[in-house]
Amino acid sequence: MNALTAFFTPNAWRVFRRNMLAWQKYAWSSVAINIVEPFAYFLALGFGLGAYFSLTGYGSLVQFMAPGFLGLTALNTATFDASWGCYERRVFNGVYESMVTAPVDPLEIAAGEYIWQAFRSVLYGSLFLAVIAGFGLVHSWWALLCPVMLALCGIVFAIPALLVSFVVKTQEHLFYYFSFVATPMVMIGGVFFPLDKFPHWALALAWLTPLYHAVKVFRSLVMGTVTASTGLEALWVIAAIVLLAFVPVRSIRARLAN
Amino acid sequence: MCAISSIVYARSLTKRYGAIEAVRGIDFSISAGECYGFLGVNGAGKTSTMKMIYCRIARTSGELGVLGMDPARDASRIKQRLGVVAQENALDPELDVVENLLLYASFFGVTGAAARRRADELLELVAISGKERALVRELSGGMKRRLVIARALVNDPDILVLDEPTTGLDPQARLLVWEKLTRLLERGLTLLLTTHYMEEAARLCNRVAVIDEGRILAEGQPSQLIERFAAQDVLELVDVGGRLPDDERLDGLVLRRERHGETQYLYTADNRVLLHRLAELGFDPPRHVARQATLEDVFLNITGRGLSE
Repeated sequence: MNALTAFFTPNAWRVFRRNMLAWQKYAWSSVAINIVEPFAYFLALGFGLGAYFSLTGYGSLVQFMAPGFLGLTALNTATFDASWGCYERRVFNGVYESMVTAPVDPLEIAAGEYIWQAFRSVLYGSLFLAVIAGFGLVHSWWALLCPVMLALCGIVFAIPALLVSFVVKTQEHLFYYFSFVATPMVMIGGVFFPLDKFPHWALALAWLTPLYHAVKVFRSLVMGTVTASTGLEALWVIAAIVLLAFVPVRSIRARLAN
Repeated sequence: MCAISSIVYARSLTKRYGAIEAVRGIDFSISAGECYGFLGVNGAGKTSTMKMIYCRIARTSGELGVLGMDPARDASRIKQRLGVVAQENALDPELDVVENLLLYASFFGVTGAAARRRADELLELVAISGKERALVRELSGGMKRRLVIARALVNDPDILVLDEPTTGLDPQARLLVWEKLTRLLERGLTLLLTTHYMEEAARLCNRVAVIDEGRILAEGQPSQLIERFAAQDVLELVDVGGRLPDDERLDGLVLRRERHGETQYLYTADNRVLLHRLAELGFDPPRHVARQATLEDVFLNITGRGLSE
């Protein structure tokens, strides 16, 4: 078994089911938290700030941000639960400890967590998609493919977050990851504003983050401007998953295996 | 004992964590249907030994066989046939009682109606019926421990491994756990446990290994160990100073003498005879306890310190 084939084992899906069972007990509050906060930012920035100007070549700010926020929602929800949540499950609640006492491979646990983050990302992202559709900001049936991209986002953002949760010494150190990695990624990801006026080096940096590519895909799907390059952007994210999946293997095994 | 006929065996087994040698070359051999106990204080190497057996940590050197397999190669297959009650309960606090059992069962491929039936049987066995939908944090310490035992049995294991099954429980809860474990033994299950309660070892174990600082210092049936390292009876004398008659004048009635703090321990075949002789010599111990020897005395005599220290 390797980091990728682990996704297709029954145990990975049992780990996913475990998270689902736990989540069902507080599902409504979780949905509320994951929808209300991005929505508040969206309203304030899009309609509040956006009322003062429009973006040359892109139309209103609110229209520009709507698809970007799909990527942002996926990043936030997967990053937080794969780091903070997984740290809690591993260290405080002993959830993984009992799993590795049973014949569950640590890689199956990781894969189950990635699948779980894909689910969360699809759920919260799709709810957001429904909201922006209600505001008339979705212009194409291509948008029906957004959940697929949301699932890929959930996985690609979960992998580094899970790794961080396995290497930090205390839970508070996760804030380093939020502040130094996740938040800057949002700033240069093309969520809030176009990146045309960025210097080359900043654009190169943005190109290295999965969010940049994911947001481009969401924008094409929502606006109906799908071309071959949209497929390439999606492929970039899939390639990132395939490569990144192998990075945390040693840490995960070191913490959980024999 | 021959390695082939034993369900778990170790030869020169060691475990080192960096510079710390937790297990320093131990040998043991356990037969099917037996209850085998490791008796020792905290840090003696009990938990490390157990974790090597249930494939949680890798051994440093030596041989180890579990169910005819090697944990270094066949961890997954061994785990499939073991029940483990680790020192920490590691119950899932976000799931209820039944969900905890069903999830764990699913990892062994026990699912659906079969899992459900198994869960019901086990909850009845450990006397937690009626609490199916309770969250784990709502259970008492004793119930949690019994739930962990039930969880360890979901895969109908060949061996049940228990690391300090009753540490931290009140006496009543402990009795209930012992009663459940005794029932499992009667059904023919092999039990492997660690404890620092000599009463637990004496009550449950066919054989006990006294383990200290990573080494097995003595091994045998509890009664044999007591006979060999202690005596039938013990007379504990508190604060007698130098007034106690020496061994010669006691006609060899005292088989062994130990002194710890203010207490002298006289090991003898029969307390009544010894007390009678002391009275004849005009020595009337002001404060004393006359009792039967226990594994505690064995431990004291072998290691020079008490189990509860």
